[in-house]
Amino acid sequence: MSLIVDNKSAVTQNLLEQLQKGSGKIAFIPDAEIISAIRHLENKGIPNNKHEDYKYCNIEAVLRKEFKSVEQSFNELTNADIAPLKLEEAINLVVVNGNYNESLSEKIIVKGLTVKSLKDISSSQKTLLSSQAKSDTDALIALNTAFSNNGLFLDMEKGNVIPMPIHVIYVNSGNTEIVVNTRNFIHIQANAEVTLVESFFNTGSSKVFSNFVSEKFVGENAKLNCFTFQNEGPLSYSVNTNQVKVNKYSTYSNTTTTLGGELVRNNHNVELAASNCEVHLNGLFITKGTQQVDNHTLIDHQMPNCESNELYKGIAKDKSVGTFNGKIFVRKDAQKTNAYQSSKNILMSDDATINTKPQLEIYADDVKCSHGTSTGKIDTEALFYLKARGIGEESARKLLLQAFAQELIDKIEIPSLQERVLHLFEKTL
Amino acid sequence: MANEILEEHIQNEYKWGFTTDIAADEAPKGLNEDIIRFISAKKNEPEWMLEFRLKAFRNWLNMVEPQWAHVHYQKPNFQDIIYYSAPKPKKELASLDEVDPELLKTFEKLGISIDEQKRLTGVQSNIAVDIVFDSVSVKTTFKETLAEKGIIFCSFSEAVQEHPELVKKYMGMAVPPTDNFYAALNSAVFTDGSFCYIPKGVRSPMELSTYFRINASGTGQFERTLIIADEDSYVSYLEGCTAPQRDENQLHAAVVEIITHKNAEVKYSTVQNWYPGDKEGKGGIFNFVTKRGICLEDNSKISWTQVETGSAVTWKYPSVILKGNNSVGEFYSVAVTNNYQQADTGTKMIHIGKNTRSTIISKGISAGFSNNSYRGLVQIKKGASNARNFSQCDSLLMGDKCGAHTFPYIEIKDKSAVVEHEATTSKIGEDQLFYCKQRGIDNEKAIGLIVNGYCKEVLNKLPMEFAVEAQKLLAISLEGSVG
Repeated sequence: MSLIVDNKSAVTQNLLEQLQKGSGKIAFIPDAEIISAIRHLENKGIPNNKHEDYKYCNIEAVLRKEFKSVEQSFNELTNADIAPLKLEEAINLVVVNGNYNESLSEKIIVKGLTVKSLKDISSSQKTLLSSQAKSDTDALIALNTAFSNNGLFLDMEKGNVIPMPIHVIYVNSGNTEIVVNTRNFIHIQANAEVTLVESFFNTGSSKVFSNFVSEKFVGENAKLNCFTFQNEGPLSYSVNTNQVKVNKYSTYSNTTTTLGGELVRNNHNVELAASNCEVHLNGLFITKGTQQVDNHTLIDHQMPNCESNELYKGIAKDKSVGTFNGKIFVRKDAQKTNAYQSSKNILMSDDATINTKPQLEIYADDVKCSHGTSTGKIDTEALFYLKARGIGEESARKLLLQAFAQELIDKIEIPSLQERVLHLFEKTL
Repeated sequence: MANEILEEHIQNEYKWGFTTDIAADEAPKGLNEDIIRFISAKKNEPEWMLEFRLKAFRNWLNMVEPQWAHVHYQKPNFQDIIYYSAPKPKKELASLDEVDPELLKTFEKLGISIDEQKRLTGVQSNIAVDIVFDSVSVKTTFKETLAEKGIIFCSFSEAVQEHPELVKKYMGMAVPPTDNFYAALNSAVFTDGSFCYIPKGVRSPMELSTYFRINASGTGQFERTLIIADEDSYVSYLEGCTAPQRDENQLHAAVVEIITHKNAEVKYSTVQNWYPGDKEGKGGIFNFVTKRGICLEDNSKISWTQVETGSAVTWKYPSVILKGNNSVGEFYSVAVTNNYQQADTGTKMIHIGKNTRSTIISKGISAGFSNNSYRGLVQIKKGASNARNFSQCDSLLMGDKCGAHTFPYIEIKDKSAVVEHEATTSKIGEDQLFYCKQRGIDNEKAIGLIVNGYCKEVLNKLPMEFAVEAQKLLAISLEGSVG
């Protein structure tokens, strides 16, 4: 594998060189795929704000500024490090610095469920890999494809319903600046039902650039209920890409809560590839300091009679920046589509910024699509109402913000996770 | 049923697609500094004007065509365009009798008889018209009546000669010559246009209007409109346009600038009906226009209303920069695309001053194989306290081969701002149609009725004369597009 870089972007070149030094040979993705991913990176480079999809999220600048020398010196983690991150009512699985760690994970005794590391998958399973996350669609997917570690493979056999949630803990930890390319593959077969929690942490003492790519397949009449919890702290810069494909009569839902992380970019691309399926995406973020959160969704309606719902809410404090960019794409054959999208934001400071870009791209005529977005301050009349009843300004404000977020917090059906979110949310307020 | 109606529609051709046989005084094809000097010399322009053009041209050479719009077309060859075409003979005209009779016939066909309007002075149709034929302003009516009030309404070239201080001060204020590819091109090669100045405290007694027509083949039209409303003044301005039917794509790259001072208000209405190409998508006008207004001082207001039915490709974002405190920006738009037309249109509202307000109502209708996009920017700058915006973009789809898209950009940097945006996409409801048909209204009329109702919010904002024309245009553009 040779790296011939045409000096298109110094940042990309530098990153490629640094990662190449530290990475071994990856077995689970075919060489041809890796080479084409590197070619794509060389040609397109890491996206900056000139790139329409990354207009409000300059990844190139972050890498240039914050990740000058990536040494890839990782920390080992013990059970004691992981214990506080676990959720009590779930099966806890651990991925450390992009590698699935079986010894730290809990044993699984659930019918039909297979969990293993990506390098151990069978050749028939390999054929699906990278089919949903294509290198030529996004430079960060390409970067992940080229340098991804030994991630997690999760398969739920036909017709099995899982009795408890699975909790995947992604934890990064390094001594020096590190770039982690975590990858996973979630396969829910027909008629199966799974609840999945994905939590992201950084326990190290240095900066982490986490580039996460997840491919999720939801089979016919299957149900995948996901919760994403992001609390990576001020040293983390992360891009999380979810490439989801849903099948006939299936349901996919995801609720993402973003509380920590200096830069968090969520790419959530869902392909409704068959008729009669249903997708729900929800998101909540609260940012402070100089944090930056960018939620980017694409709902691709390809077949008729599908439904999609999106609800994203954000609160931006201090000098933080919150972005929502959602696109509903309705193809020619996707008649009778119902697609709704809503983004609501509150600005708490004059130095904070909210950018929203809700988009509709529609090529079918018999559809009902709508989007709405609103950005504003705390309702002064509601504040007055509470103050008039003897509630202090500060508590009244918190009460109103909590009420604003409650709709989304309520969607988190797992009590211990909900509690964790609520606790951190209140702390940030 | 569907096919019959479609057939009928296909027969309904572009009504304004005639050419007029008038000898034209043209520049050779192509674009270089010599052509710009030629245009400037032809128009007997002062040195600073030529400098402005050359500066813009040199900038343009380093610019690339914008690619981000949701439209696909064959890029125009900028060396294959005639940048100056004036109807010949061009001499000073004292009265309408001296105007080339062929030209008058054209206007009659267009339904704007200058003659008639002159007779009707102050009676019914109370509109002063400036007509721009290919690239040159032909005749401005009612000039004397307006002059009594101190209103300057003339062609751009005339303004350069007679009011250079105003032109020099305001030109390029809203749309700098380096603004974008097509604005730079326009700044380099514009040939004429309209100029309008409303002095302090004057309410224009009549509606002012510009009528653009591309006539000669192989030409591009590059006109510039500059409207200045001084303190406490008001004007309502109309713009209309048509072009002959041709197989080739012709380029129209205009610039419109509006500047309002304290307490002033400008209402700018457009009915755009350039030739949209035939049913195969061949020919038609490329309409790449930069329109922008600045509410320079407090309490001023700029309102854009547009009805877009023509052009093969439209790329147009009438914008308002709300600089003065308490200033107001409005954008009302109906964009209709049929056959292979493509439109990427919308607005930009830039809030800088305190207590600024803006409203955006956009109604898109797509039929046939067309694509219709709304693209808008609402930007609340830091310090623009209590800024308020409401945007609504609705799309109506007729048929399953067309597309309707919405691309709003909302950037907010002030916590006291309140910004709302909503958009819907739907088709004409079966129940709505059924309701009409049950009451004895046939399919075609029912659709007309529903579409008109759908656009009412915008059509209501048009001056009366234009509203009638716009309604007719809507009906013609959409006839038979639903079976």
